[in-house]
Amino acid sequence: MERRVVITAGSAITPIGHGKDEIIQSLINGVSGVKTLRKDDLLENYIHSKVFGTVDYPIEYDFKRSDRKTMGPVAYYACQVVKEVLEQAGLDNGFISSGRLGVAFGSTHGSPTVQRDIYRNFFGGSRDQFSTVSAVDYLKSMVHTTAVNITKMFGITGRVISSSTACTTSSQSIGFGYEMVKYGLQDAMICGGADEYDTTTVAVFDNLLACSTAFNDTPHLTPRPFEVRRDGLVVGEGGGAVLLEEYQQAKKRGANIIAEIIGFACNNNGGNLILPDVEGTKKTLRLGLKSAKIRADEVDFISAHATGTKMGDVIEAQAIHSIYDNSPYITSLKSYMGHTMGTCGVIEMVLTLYMMEKGFIAPTLNLKEIDKRCAMIRHVTELCESAIRVAAIQNFAFGGVNTSLIMKKI
Amino acid sequence: MKVNIIDFKILWYGWNLRQFQLVSFRRFGNLKKEKFVKHMQLTRKEILHDLIRIFRENFEIDNPGMEDDLRKEYEFDSIDAIELLVEIEKMLGFPLTQEEKKQAINIRTFNQICDYIVAMASART
Repeated sequence: MERRVVITAGSAITPIGHGKDEIIQSLINGVSGVKTLRKDDLLENYIHSKVFGTVDYPIEYDFKRSDRKTMGPVAYYACQVVKEVLEQAGLDNGFISSGRLGVAFGSTHGSPTVQRDIYRNFFGGSRDQFSTVSAVDYLKSMVHTTAVNITKMFGITGRVISSSTACTTSSQSIGFGYEMVKYGLQDAMICGGADEYDTTTVAVFDNLLACSTAFNDTPHLTPRPFEVRRDGLVVGEGGGAVLLEEYQQAKKRGANIIAEIIGFACNNNGGNLILPDVEGTKKTLRLGLKSAKIRADEVDFISAHATGTKMGDVIEAQAIHSIYDNSPYITSLKSYMGHTMGTCGVIEMVLTLYMMEKGFIAPTLNLKEIDKRCAMIRHVTELCESAIRVAAIQNFAFGGVNTSLIMKKI
Repeated sequence: MKVNIIDFKILWYGWNLRQFQLVSFRRFGNLKKEKFVKHMQLTRKEILHDLIRIFRENFEIDNPGMEDDLRKEYEFDSIDAIELLVEIEKMLGFPLTQEEKKQAINIRTFNQICDYIVAMASART
């Protein structure tokens, strides 16, 4: 049995705004959410890259203490976007706790802020006889902290999937959630991801010479996906969630159906854990189309993974061209907010849903001179009015994990 | 008994050392005792005052009733109890054993927490 799966709500906290109106305005006006890296008294002085996709605006959380006590910053993002999604969707409480609603949610590595505090407690030189790991430290920092804090806060009793595959974390969450509903294991899934401010992640990419450093004094000019002067990615933070529902149920209850997910593919390059692989990427894109049962020329828009690294953008452009030719419009939404790591897939899906709804395509920011090796695809360099009927969201992660999600406007 | 000068010196130094040890032990013991006395002298009112502060600052619970069921009234669960035990250790000035901590598992009210703190302090006298 294969059932249709639709998206009935979505929300995101991003470096370019929180909620639909703010984010759309930022996309239309070409606002960058990349700012100077915040101080963390740990690594900022050792990192060459001084830029970060920052959520620097206040968010009014209205969570009870009993919920807050097991949450690190990453779970705050997660629970807030899910709260907004559930409010939008209007699901009744009976269904939420029926066991037919599940959660697929993840983060890159739980809460590094809490982990850092634990290590500081023990290795910071101030340890006394009462120093200990708090009863809640693990709950706040564990890899599946986002997913289970969501279940706790909203009383969700269905399946829990907590993927943690770096940059494909939330696109896997959406894909696996989609399959849960498609094959009848759940009637609805809350899917997404979150990642908090963290300099250890920046340090990892910085070490690998993959971070942008040439625009430390002008953060809004980086990252520059597909551009000749691109010099690496910019790490960011945020959270995003979508609600997936079985189509008939959504229709029956009068839900606002935003789009339908029609395909998902996930594979692995089966080799190098860091370097992008054109054959593995092409295979994912091909499998995505096969899963969606559509031709390549039916896809109007691709949200490219395109982080702004020297090699990754070229490989992705080659793969897109090989599978799609130069038919669909291509934008790197990371150009607005940097690479929000585990949450990038869902944020890019939510932003694409907004563009789908409003009938425009945001250009890749900072794309002034296209790198010739990336020029064979249809880049969007200026804001354009265009109806997106079918869109693909593609993401690639360390570890050689690739995903492609395909959705259609209803 | 014949005692030569060397033996006498050893005896004298030994006696002094013993005296020093005894004095030091007494002093140290007195200090520890003073500390305990201080804890023991903490009135229930003072313990309560500290607890109210801890509950307000750490658990956002303001002035709970002495016999309120903390679990039912304030969602004070086992995780909170573990956190509270750390605060109690700080209040007492010594770490509790695992067995002593396990005794706190079934505590439900403020009154019971006070009793527990008094009992833990007494156990060290």
